[in-house]
Amino acid sequence: MKICAVLRVVPDLVEEIEIEETEIVPFAYIANERDEHAVEEALILKEKAGGSVDVLGVVDEDTASDVDEPLAMAYAKGADNLIKAILSRKTFRRYEVAKGLAEFLKDKGYDVIFTGIQAIDAFAGTLGGMLARCMNLPYIGGVVEVDVQNGTLVVKKELGGGLLGEYRVSTPAILGVVSAERPLKFVPFAKLKKAMKEANIDEVDIEVPEIEGIDVLRYYEPPKPEITLLEGDPEELAEKLVEVLKEVSVL
Amino acid sequence: MNVLVFAEVVENEIQEITYELVGKAKQLGDVTTLVVGNADVSNINSDVIQVDAGEPLPWHYKIVEKVFEKLKPSAILFGNTLTSIDIAAQFAAQLDLPMATMVTDISAKDDGFVATSLVYGGKVLVDLALKSPAVFVVNRGSFPAEEGKGSVGNVEKLSLEELGVSDGIEFVGYIKPEVEDVDISKMDIVVSVGRGIGDEANIELAEELAEVLGGVVAGSRPVIDSGWLPKTRQVGRSGKTVTGKLYLALGISGATEHVEGVKAKNVIAINIDRNAPIFRISRCGVVADVLELVPVLIEKIREAKG
Amino acid sequence: MDVGEMLETYFERLSEVSESERYKQCLQCGTCGGSCPYGIASPFTPRRMILALRAKLIDEILESGAQWLCTACYTCSYRCPSQIPLTDAIIPALRELSLLEGNPPEELAAALMNTARYGNPFRESPRKRDSWTKEVEFEVPLMSKKKEADVLFIPECFGAYHRRCREITKAFAEVMYLLGVDFAILGNEERCIGDLTRLCGEFGLFEDLMEKNIKTFEKYSFNRIVTHDAHAFNALKREYPKMGFEKEVLHHTQFLFENLDKLKDMFNELDYTVTYHDSCYVGRRNGIFEEPREVIKAIPGLRFVEMKRIRENALCCGGGGGGVWLDSFIRNFLKERPAEDRVREAASVGADVLVTACILDVPMFEDALKVTGLEGQLVVKDISELVLEAIR
Repeated sequence: MKICAVLRVVPDLVEEIEIEETEIVPFAYIANERDEHAVEEALILKEKAGGSVDVLGVVDEDTASDVDEPLAMAYAKGADNLIKAILSRKTFRRYEVAKGLAEFLKDKGYDVIFTGIQAIDAFAGTLGGMLARCMNLPYIGGVVEVDVQNGTLVVKKELGGGLLGEYRVSTPAILGVVSAERPLKFVPFAKLKKAMKEANIDEVDIEVPEIEGIDVLRYYEPPKPEITLLEGDPEELAEKLVEVLKEVSVL
Repeated sequence: MNVLVFAEVVENEIQEITYELVGKAKQLGDVTTLVVGNADVSNINSDVIQVDAGEPLPWHYKIVEKVFEKLKPSAILFGNTLTSIDIAAQFAAQLDLPMATMVTDISAKDDGFVATSLVYGGKVLVDLALKSPAVFVVNRGSFPAEEGKGSVGNVEKLSLEELGVSDGIEFVGYIKPEVEDVDISKMDIVVSVGRGIGDEANIELAEELAEVLGGVVAGSRPVIDSGWLPKTRQVGRSGKTVTGKLYLALGISGATEHVEGVKAKNVIAINIDRNAPIFRISRCGVVADVLELVPVLIEKIREAKG
Repeated sequence: MDVGEMLETYFERLSEVSESERYKQCLQCGTCGGSCPYGIASPFTPRRMILALRAKLIDEILESGAQWLCTACYTCSYRCPSQIPLTDAIIPALRELSLLEGNPPEELAAALMNTARYGNPFRESPRKRDSWTKEVEFEVPLMSKKKEADVLFIPECFGAYHRRCREITKAFAEVMYLLGVDFAILGNEERCIGDLTRLCGEFGLFEDLMEKNIKTFEKYSFNRIVTHDAHAFNALKREYPKMGFEKEVLHHTQFLFENLDKLKDMFNELDYTVTYHDSCYVGRRNGIFEEPREVIKAIPGLRFVEMKRIRENALCCGGGGGGVWLDSFIRNFLKERPAEDRVREAASVGADVLVTACILDVPMFEDALKVTGLEGQLVVKDISELVLEAIR
């Protein structure tokens, strides 16, 4: 089975992010957590069904974002080939990214393409579903488990409230992963550094088309909460909380 | 203008978010709600197109496409749920329509719309200008559900054959969570723990607090993923929605995915980080170390109860 | 990895740690297991680990999880008649194999990944490392501004970020300030010193941290390092010299003792009973027993009592060797934590205050007070907090 996993980077929220009127300036980037799960699930599927895993890292030319280390991490975990897709321009529109990536992916013969179901910066589309339409392939998101039976994918999807749905999908297909079947594999520092030295990353330039219809007017911080935050020593706070609990007639 | 709402249906039941969407849609124009499956639609306060196609599936964007051609709506509203987002993204891409996700507000402006989205883990809002027609994927709890409830208008029933769509994804069935547990969505008082509680052993502390308050313990995704609480206790997008009287959040930062599942009438949050997004939805916020405060709180509650 | 590869990797690592070939001289006497706080629960005590290694059953040890049932308290190493470096080599090298297999306990995995990315295990921004300095009323000098100082003070990760431990950092900094010590910190240039990464088998990360920290040290001129973090002290004193770092390193108990004459003039009377906990990497590992006791006894009005298990035989708090991130894992094997046993012991000798000298002790013991119901009866203080209270 020829498997691909898409790996994006997003602003690292542990660090400050600068909010400018029409731009977000992150201090650092980090692998999109859902995409890390997509890579993990891709590797799990390889264990189950054999084949190879290509990881397609996505960065854009205009920012300081870099995906080399997350790609090396995937390599250290068992990915076979690493590709860095360099988008010709920065865009918040997933549809434009999907169009660009689809152009690259369409003749690669992947049986399954994994993406993370969402990213913290996805306010104009989600990649998996849009990619599926650009490539005319079936798509299921919310995936938490993938098996293969007689050449067909058997996929478990989260529906909320602990409820799962089971589906059969023929390949080729695109799957949006919410969480891998097992915790993300740990990679020790030395192994990661070794992978960074050894891993061969193929770079491809992806032309991102411009499609009209949506613009960012402004970014801004959500208004501060109107509630007053209580602070003080535990004794005082606990007493105040008991009052609040009485107000809402819990006590 | 015409507005189309895609109903959120799980196990043949219309979910609350549908009414929230209908309520908002009514402010924008004339509303038709598209319901996939045979759910009871009588409470939807709009016209309805009901398509007999079993449970909603990812490829049902094709159904939306057909209905779109028929009604020519200016806005198409979906819930930000695991079911609807699959359909919304494919629908928007298929028709080249602009799409806003994680939406918390929508208004009509000039010939198009302005949507507000909550992104970057709840740290940033973004205002977007969208040309009409546009697709909106709306966060749970952004609008009141009351406006969307009432008696249904005209109900048109269609079959897949009539629409002429089919696809290769086959629904095998539901896998239900183990039921030998309380249903947190039906509990009046929920004490919920996040990673901020430190480690598994401290769950006991939350359990003790829940006990004195007469409630149950739930948790955010990281806590469930760590196996500290069963999956049935998860609050949030991929878990359950709590709707009771009190939601007491201990060491929960309040990521968007989590907050979506918090619909309790009163939220009280205790967190050491004064910038934690959870405070934004709280009636009362306390900046404190959960492990320091909760034992004292338990004592005080016991005293108060006498 | 198959068993052959595991053994090869294991013994290669062992060969890099000094004295580790002594494992061949293991007498199978069982002193180690009898000394271990987790000995009663562990499927493989150090003795049985060596037995299994000899029988090439290394995979069985790893599968049992026994390599994670260790707080690196050093009691087994200290008592071993063959002086086998169990804590520094036998166990960390096993842990390294777990890390290479990719499946260490989850909380620990997160702590290690955070340390690699942010230079601290807490997933905090490295740019907030000096934020504690904004919570004190005196100026804490930065090396980047001052360029030289007599003392380089290392708060280390717990002291910089952990909410309770920051109080200890602030207290010790204030003591230095009141003593008029010429000191400075690295602020946001500091990163994890790394003793816990070493003891957890993350040798590659430890080496990287050492390199980077030494590079930072070399930018500035100072005479010695002082730290209140017992593990940072241990690594700086014992491991960093192997990488060419040769400055004098003092634990804050030693530093307080050195300044005792001056402190004596500043001490006010305190009126309660204290006992002292010999932290593993202050006492047993590094032989600092008298200095803290002298400092405590010099405070007028204090009544000093000893617990039963003291000095080399003191019981570990359970936080070392990654123990702070192994609690959930260890709870699968053992229900009572060593810290709970220890605070009961402190209470039983009539102490009002349990004085400690390792930064991990305070949160570990304070948690144990909550579990044992001793909260209100017994208070835990770092020795610097005690000294500050006496001189304020």
